[in-house]
Amino acid sequence: MEGTANPRDLTAVPAEAPGRVVYRHTVVTRLTHWLMFVSLAVLLMSGLQIFNASPNLDASDKSDPAHRVLAIGDVQNSAGATVGTTEIFGHTFTTTGVLGYGDDGQGGQSARAFPGWLTFPAYQDLASGRRWHFFFAWVFVFCGAAYLLSSALRKDLALLILRPSDLPKMWPMQAYYFKLRKEPPNHGKYNPLQKAGYTGLLFILTPFVIVTGLALAPGIDAIAGPLTVLLGGRQFARSWHFLSMLLLTGFFFGHVFLVASTGVINNMRSMTLGTYRLGKHEGTGP
Amino acid sequence: MKRRLFVASSLAAALAGCDRVVNSINDSSAVHKVIDSAEKLNHVVIGTHGMAKLYRDSDITWDFPTNGLATPSDATYRALMDTRFASYRLPVGGLVEQPATFNLAQLRALTTINQVTRHDCVEGWSVIGRWAGVPLGSILKLVRPKPEARYVVFYSYDRDDDGSQFYGSLDLVQAAHPQTQLALDLNGKPIDPDHGGPVRLRIPTQLAYKSTKWVRRIELVSSFASIFQGKGGYWEDRGYEWYAGI
Repeated sequence: MEGTANPRDLTAVPAEAPGRVVYRHTVVTRLTHWLMFVSLAVLLMSGLQIFNASPNLDASDKSDPAHRVLAIGDVQNSAGATVGTTEIFGHTFTTTGVLGYGDDGQGGQSARAFPGWLTFPAYQDLASGRRWHFFFAWVFVFCGAAYLLSSALRKDLALLILRPSDLPKMWPMQAYYFKLRKEPPNHGKYNPLQKAGYTGLLFILTPFVIVTGLALAPGIDAIAGPLTVLLGGRQFARSWHFLSMLLLTGFFFGHVFLVASTGVINNMRSMTLGTYRLGKHEGTGP
Repeated sequence: MKRRLFVASSLAAALAGCDRVVNSINDSSAVHKVIDSAEKLNHVVIGTHGMAKLYRDSDITWDFPTNGLATPSDATYRALMDTRFASYRLPVGGLVEQPATFNLAQLRALTTINQVTRHDCVEGWSVIGRWAGVPLGSILKLVRPKPEARYVVFYSYDRDDDGSQFYGSLDLVQAAHPQTQLALDLNGKPIDPDHGGPVRLRIPTQLAYKSTKWVRRIELVSSFASIFQGKGGYWEDRGYEWYAGI
């Protein structure tokens, strides 16, 4: 493992020191990490609450059934029971119990796109869902900005950004994880796959989820009209916003998997208290 | 099998427990005091700037939805319908130097806005229509707001099932925006009773719940704290943001 450009960086210790406890995450990183975790959870659930008010997505500017990509609804079956349905690109699936018909958030069942246990609040309440969504959108943005600033000032951000020289090392790194290689390729503080993942998250996916959400707002559209046009219009922006939510949720589960598979207690300790016990071949984490 | 049933019912109980916790957090007014503060930030950062996008006639949605609230059942309104709104009068008063009342012919004589704009519902859908009407700013110029006037309140003919009157409000900046209008025509025809006729507010830079339908009276005030539940509108009294630019 290579050395580090920053002598103050406690995480940069030789790989020959397994078992050594190091100070890995600064207080800013830890605080913003957990605040952003809470924010993302509330944003996801309040977003589904907002989605439920009009559970269709169109690839068009105004609402247009001819350009519908997703529709969650309910129908009466021949026995008179309510069945939840989900239509994706014209293909209809029965999704009773989860999508279209399920938990009403108050102990009962009702026709509802996303069920109560996935929305914030659990019962249908668009006004509150919007309040939660906007409040935590600001928390998320402020925390994200604080994290980026502190990371840039510590000169850590530069180490995290994927560079062209990392590209040829991505497969060897994956091969190492697949146990097809004994040693990881030579890399800096972050390995090429971590760099690809976090660069995509910080500089592509997160800006995209923010921008697609803003493009839905009539007040933003009046200031930054070309943005909404670029995304294909208001309903299209709503579809992009939904897609970026799915990708972020996917990233979250990938992240949790890696946290769990690389020593969950050690990882949790470092993200909460800051200290981390080094294993073989590592100076970093998930 | 029993085990599977146990797992399923435990899971259902856990989820129901989550529902209760989440709901009780949302039911706390102290919590809402904190999260509702985001509205001020949204208002300051986004505000009322720029112009809503203008569309072509080919973009128009011809079967305009009504969102449930169709023709008001109000007796006064029904009587106006019987005269085809010939007896409709719109009083504009409150904190103004020159209170005035307009009939439809007088409003039509002032008509200068005729634009195809998008109507964005808070629920998430949007439709496009051609709206023609009077810029609200030109009405304000005629009645001349007093210096202490800060908000324009719009009272509707419509009531909900509980008898609560629909109303809404804008500040003077939003009211004077060149695209804010008292709309008289939708898609080339006088607005029909289902869509808010004969006169409805139309502000394309905010969500459509700000565009009060069936306007019966306009009042300029220094504060809306004493009007109905004090939040500045029917929907605002029910938890929606007063600033609806997002």
